[in-house]
Amino acid sequence: MAAIGIPSRNGAAPRRWRRSEPIGPLDYGRRLWLRLSVGAVLLFLYVPIITLMAFSFNDSRRNIVWNGFTLKYYEKALNNDSLLLAFGNSLTIALISTIFSVLLGALAAVVLWRFHFPGKPSYEGAMALPIVIPEICMGVAMLVFFARIGWPANMPWPLNLSAIIIAHISFSFPFVAMVVRARLVNFNRELEEAAKDLGASEWQTFRDVLIPFMRPGLVAGGLLAFTLSLDDFVITFFTSGPDTVTFPVKVYSMVRFSVTPEVNAASAVLIVVTIALTVAAMWLQNRAGKRNS
Amino acid sequence: MTIHLGRRFGRRSFLAGSGAVAAGLAFGPRFAHAAEEKRLNFYNWDTYIGESTLDDFNGATGIEVKMDLYADNDELFAKLKEGNPGYDVIVPTNDFVERMIEAKMLEEIDHSKIPNKVNLDPNFQDTNFDPGRKHSMPYMWGTIGIGYRKSRVDSVPDSWKWLYDSDRYAGKIALLADGSTCIQMGLKYMGHSLNATDPALIAKVEEMIIRQKPHIKTFAEDNGQDLLLSGEVDLTMEWNGDILQVMAEDDDIGYAVPQEGGLLWQDCLCIPKGAPHPENAHAFINYILDAEAGAAIADFIQYATANQAAKDLLPPEYSENPAIFPPDSVTAKCEASLYLGTDHVRMMDEAWTRILAA
Amino acid sequence: MEHWRRSPLVFWATSLPPTFWLVAFFLAPLAIVWVLSFGEKQGLIAIAITWTFDNYGRALNALYLEIFAKSMWMAAVTTFICLVVAFPVAFAITFAPERWKPVLLLLVILPFWTNLLIRTYALIAVLRTRGYVNFTLEWFWDQGNWLLTLLGLGEAQLLGERFEPLTLLYNNFAVVFGLVYVGLPFMVLPLYASLDRMDRSYIEASLDLGASQFRTLFTIVIPLAKAGIISGVIITFIPAMGSFLTPDLLGGTDSQMIANVIERQFKSANDWPFGSALSFILMYATFFALALRAMLSKSGSAMEAG
Repeated sequence: MAAIGIPSRNGAAPRRWRRSEPIGPLDYGRRLWLRLSVGAVLLFLYVPIITLMAFSFNDSRRNIVWNGFTLKYYEKALNNDSLLLAFGNSLTIALISTIFSVLLGALAAVVLWRFHFPGKPSYEGAMALPIVIPEICMGVAMLVFFARIGWPANMPWPLNLSAIIIAHISFSFPFVAMVVRARLVNFNRELEEAAKDLGASEWQTFRDVLIPFMRPGLVAGGLLAFTLSLDDFVITFFTSGPDTVTFPVKVYSMVRFSVTPEVNAASAVLIVVTIALTVAAMWLQNRAGKRNS
Repeated sequence: MTIHLGRRFGRRSFLAGSGAVAAGLAFGPRFAHAAEEKRLNFYNWDTYIGESTLDDFNGATGIEVKMDLYADNDELFAKLKEGNPGYDVIVPTNDFVERMIEAKMLEEIDHSKIPNKVNLDPNFQDTNFDPGRKHSMPYMWGTIGIGYRKSRVDSVPDSWKWLYDSDRYAGKIALLADGSTCIQMGLKYMGHSLNATDPALIAKVEEMIIRQKPHIKTFAEDNGQDLLLSGEVDLTMEWNGDILQVMAEDDDIGYAVPQEGGLLWQDCLCIPKGAPHPENAHAFINYILDAEAGAAIADFIQYATANQAAKDLLPPEYSENPAIFPPDSVTAKCEASLYLGTDHVRMMDEAWTRILAA
Repeated sequence: MEHWRRSPLVFWATSLPPTFWLVAFFLAPLAIVWVLSFGEKQGLIAIAITWTFDNYGRALNALYLEIFAKSMWMAAVTTFICLVVAFPVAFAITFAPERWKPVLLLLVILPFWTNLLIRTYALIAVLRTRGYVNFTLEWFWDQGNWLLTLLGLGEAQLLGERFEPLTLLYNNFAVVFGLVYVGLPFMVLPLYASLDRMDRSYIEASLDLGASQFRTLFTIVIPLAKAGIISGVIITFIPAMGSFLTPDLLGGTDSQMIANVIERQFKSANDWPFGSALSFILMYATFFALALRAMLSKSGSAMEAG
């Protein structure tokens, strides 16, 4: 199926300003009302972010009214060792947590989609619990749990973040499972059967047929898991200790006292770094894709 | 069957308790005969220490201090309840010092290691919530009162009436989001002690606040001073230090302790049980009580210090600032909050839930 | 859907890891808190497990039930708004050129990689009396007045004597606004995942047969995207119900939600058994609704898989 909205060209003149081409019935991407609504939503989402970034240049300790332009809070933020450490911790935790969550979530989605087994409704219910549970309840549960079983201390980085990572995975993977499952619902099992008929083993079928199909779900789920982990405050607060502070926890305790532009500066940097990382990842993926084809 | 899920002590559970929650201690378990590592884990409120205090301490003793932050006493208590995750010095407020003493969460302070305690203001050498100062050393103290915008009030609002019982400033008032504090100030307004436990009195305060609710803009979660600064409200119940910070940015803001009396709070330095570096902790506390170090801290954070020697070193702009050091006539009416038992806490919480739900 | 015995190896290989994790690192901690909900406070720290139902009894009293109901209402409104707003966005991303899809997805997700607290403070800066929305409105008001004066109608004060800023903050509107702001990507992602694999020939067929775009939307697209919609609704509704930071910071004196009460029990009221009981009631109710939907959709999924 040709990419929606781009009529096939068949050696015609290079694509120019497309206003002259009529908008096809399925050409939703070009319809005005859709573009307007997307634009409005993006505006809604970004106005606070932009004010956040603008105010990181504010020369005022309390950061309520504009007081002049300065870069000193960026200096402070970038020199604030504990902030940087917390930042590093957050990214590490988010990355590891996302990987495991996507793995576990994908497996769980496949199981629930493919198999009938006794006790399935309860299993589904149990999988839904991490989504349902109030965060503070889970935070306390993890706190008490790790205390009771005597989780080992004294581990080098990054193992010392393991308690937090475990907690994050526990509450993220059901989200991934749900997203991937929604995607699998539309999978046509005949494709699997065809692959098997052609001699593929179970694992090959999984790898070459199912996983590519699941990919958008995996990507969406992964993004969700990353977001959940990076921004988690409550659960992390209860599972962290002196050497394992994460960015939200650190910011939370800073902000309760003084919403200085330093905090805004740190967030702005976090946003920029995450964009850069994601763009790099996408670019790498594009290159790998081009090389393969 | 009764299972007690309280905290247990002993070296094994110290390891379990401390390692468990943190999973991140970079120092080993404490052997009685080994020298302490030159580290200190300090758990404190944000910006509640001098600008260079930690570095100066490091320079003087070679001990590296790592400071972590918490935002309110409840968080501190909840974190430490299941075992100390590895902190050496904490800074709870007086009523939480009481709770922690009762719950046996604090180490005893060896006064022989704190020679600088002679620097303390005589009024703070001993106290009723920690007789003999066995578990705490005073750090800073202050009041809760009313921050206001001078140009928008008829006269200095020196009564709780403007926040609790009047629609003069309707829609431009903020109270603290802390339920028990709000109820306590209501009790003060009605002329009772803020430590009253009579349910009938508390019910009356509850009614009063519910009546006043339509005029209250919001219950500010620690940012009342920001609301004042941005003009969202004109009067707010806040800690004096917070208002002082915004007074530095805006001359139109003032602070007053109501005539009926406000809350008198005191933050103390304590050593939680199971602290990995108690020797260093004592040294640190002693250092803070030093005159010069204490003066540097007080000058930076602009709260009232309990350290008389430090206060003497500071200029009158600080030591005679009525917002920092209210005159005796005012403090006479103020009271400190006491911990009055679990039933009382529960009663206050339910009253507050009803107030918010009304 | 096949019975597990038909390929037991595959079944065990795929189900063991997630099941182990769930049991060891989620159900076990939860069980501890569940046990706590039957306990009683003994002094400041110790909790005695007396297997009492007191906490549940207290939680089911009218005061707390009202708060539950109110929280559910606010979460429902939030979810509905999110659905209505996110659907066109997910739709647009689905039909965007391949090159743009990841970029658009990223654009939607990005605000959510900012710390929630800071974003909320930024929202405050936008919504408050001296915030950007009001500044912009005031500017329009000034321009309007200027225009009126130009037309000689200045004296009539048609736009009012003075600009009245909108009260957009410290009320339930702000809380819903904040919750929608936080919940939006949780709605966009599953919708997108589901719409993306929708067979477009159905839409083409419907349009060819003469149905309007609108009708196609409601009779074809939405039923096909049902799985995504339901996931999105669940992923948005439940965190909205359990959020306490947003109502705390953006709400007025009337905006207490159940999660605020629960938070207080674990912190200032120091009543962990009661907090656990409240949390569990919240969970039982939601769990029950989910189970209901699972049972109801069993008949539906047979149709979809075919």
